[in-house]
Amino acid sequence: MMKKFLSILVLSISMTSGTLSQTLSVRDDSGHNLTVRGTPNRIISLAPNITEILFALGLEDHIVGVTRYCDFPEGAGRIEKIGGLVDPSLEKIQALRPDLVIGFRGNPIRTLERIRSLDLPLFVLEMGNSLESVFRIIRTVGEVTARREEACRLAGDMEQKYQKIRTAVRSSTEKPKVFFLLSAMGLWTGGRGSFLHDLIEKAGGLNIAAEIRRKWLHYNREHLIHENPEIILIICRSKKEYSRAKEWLEKDPSFQNILAVRKGNVWFIDEDLATRPGPRLILAFTRVAEIIHPEVFAGDDEKKP
Amino acid sequence: MILLIGGILLSLLSGPVDTDLSDLWDFFINADKPLSAIILNIRLPRLILAFLVGACLSLSGAMLQGYFRNPMAGPFVVGVSSGASFGAVLALFSGFTLRIWGLSAQNIFAFASGFLLVSVVYLLSQKKGGVFRVETLLLTGIAAGALASSLTSFMIFFKADAFEQAIFWLLGSFALSDWAQIWAVLPYLLVSFIGAQWLAKDMNLLSLGDETAHSLGCPVRRIRKVFLILATLLASSAVSVSGIIGFVGLIIPHWVRLLIGPDHRYLFPFSALLGGIFCIYSDMLARTLLSPTEIPIGIITAAVGAPFFIYLLHKKS
Repeated sequence: MMKKFLSILVLSISMTSGTLSQTLSVRDDSGHNLTVRGTPNRIISLAPNITEILFALGLEDHIVGVTRYCDFPEGAGRIEKIGGLVDPSLEKIQALRPDLVIGFRGNPIRTLERIRSLDLPLFVLEMGNSLESVFRIIRTVGEVTARREEACRLAGDMEQKYQKIRTAVRSSTEKPKVFFLLSAMGLWTGGRGSFLHDLIEKAGGLNIAAEIRRKWLHYNREHLIHENPEIILIICRSKKEYSRAKEWLEKDPSFQNILAVRKGNVWFIDEDLATRPGPRLILAFTRVAEIIHPEVFAGDDEKKP
Repeated sequence: MILLIGGILLSLLSGPVDTDLSDLWDFFINADKPLSAIILNIRLPRLILAFLVGACLSLSGAMLQGYFRNPMAGPFVVGVSSGASFGAVLALFSGFTLRIWGLSAQNIFAFASGFLLVSVVYLLSQKKGGVFRVETLLLTGIAAGALASSLTSFMIFFKADAFEQAIFWLLGSFALSDWAQIWAVLPYLLVSFIGAQWLAKDMNLLSLGDETAHSLGCPVRRIRKVFLILATLLASSAVSVSGIIGFVGLIIPHWVRLLIGPDHRYLFPFSALLGGIFCIYSDMLARTLLSPTEIPIGIITAAVGAPFFIYLLHKKS
């Protein structure tokens, strides 16, 4: 009788101490709740920006699987690859026995459902389409991996820089017209739903494709000539691609009269920095702001490439 | 038979994660090991579904080749694939996440729209009081299919960022096979198979020509209706779970004919069997050739099927 009472006592004490430790429930962007008990040790990331965020939170040794597109930072190259963004390998994912899989809305819904049906802990993020949504994403990843402090610090840092630049460009009365180009093959740009649109607008510029609600679209040549942007940003992966695109723009007779082309205001923006909603987006933002409002940065010593 | 067992074993063993016979043995004895989980949860459903889909498509193809008396006929010739694609892409882009009996919205939409399209095509090709001409069905199917395709393409163009996901459905894949889908396809296969066997003799008669068949006591119009319905059910259910997998329905019946002749009483079952085996092997290739990347299976079947088809054509002439 005494033994029974003691064991119940011990049990109840351990149960209450269990609830006192870190367990919280976080709701992901697909409406599912995930219970977090301390930092997960076997994380799989289903997108390059998620990988970058995890690394930035110091979780490098806790990651066991990444996509083949996860190429930053260096350490990501050494982690086992589980496939692509729309075709992650279910077998690989299951074999790695993850205790957390972080995906996003760009992964196919059916794949995410299947991962859930295999009883793997899945957390789905909505990427959003602005720089501010990145702060939210970083904080959420911090919650889910019990690295709240690091996440708040990282997001706070980024936010500070962001606000600083925003305030600075607000003092400028001009809002130059900007056009951004995604590849040399035709005139791919982004409308109101894209990150780059947000970067440009927040950096004090005017995206000429702003009225169009689509994320990505093929811009009409005539419109481009008519809108006559002052600045053109070429978003690509290397300086080589940039030079090729710039040449194409400059050689084409119909573009000769565009302000940006005439003045040589055709700039390179690293695609990896500008299209991944992660810690490096602030670098892209800074660069875009420098290009659009150089006068604000005139006092800075460092010359960015 | 050996092929089938060999295929099953090989398929269970191959995949992006290394497994070998001892792991398979472990699976049978003690399903706790992590690799057994892969075999059970991922590879086994894939294997079974690949077999079922292959069987459905080949059986459907065999039926339609008899129906149209045309060797070029396949399960997609009446517009099923275009209709189902439309449904699947619609589900994908509208972002529905409803699940009924474990089937995703995509599966359900694809099946419904595939079947619906063929029904519409069938009704459109009926002439009031006139003779039902098979050629009309074919042409209407092509036209309706073209319309569905253009609408599907428009949707993809309009929401270009989901393009990659659409591609996987349009080229076929077994990557997301699960037990619910197996249960979704199995009843159709069984029903159609039984129906086909029962009416196989009538199909033999049909190949002699409608008038001849009629004079020999075959209820031509009824038989035609039944076969069309069964073939469409097979094709719709197959396509709804795995996307568009071309050439299987077209090639396999011909292959079987070369081996055992055109008697439908044997053509139907063997087409189904061979089709299933073919799909198992193709799926195996699809997930091991570029591991861990998966090649959509439609690419494999076309790459294997097309040259073979050309070879067949040469042989015949």
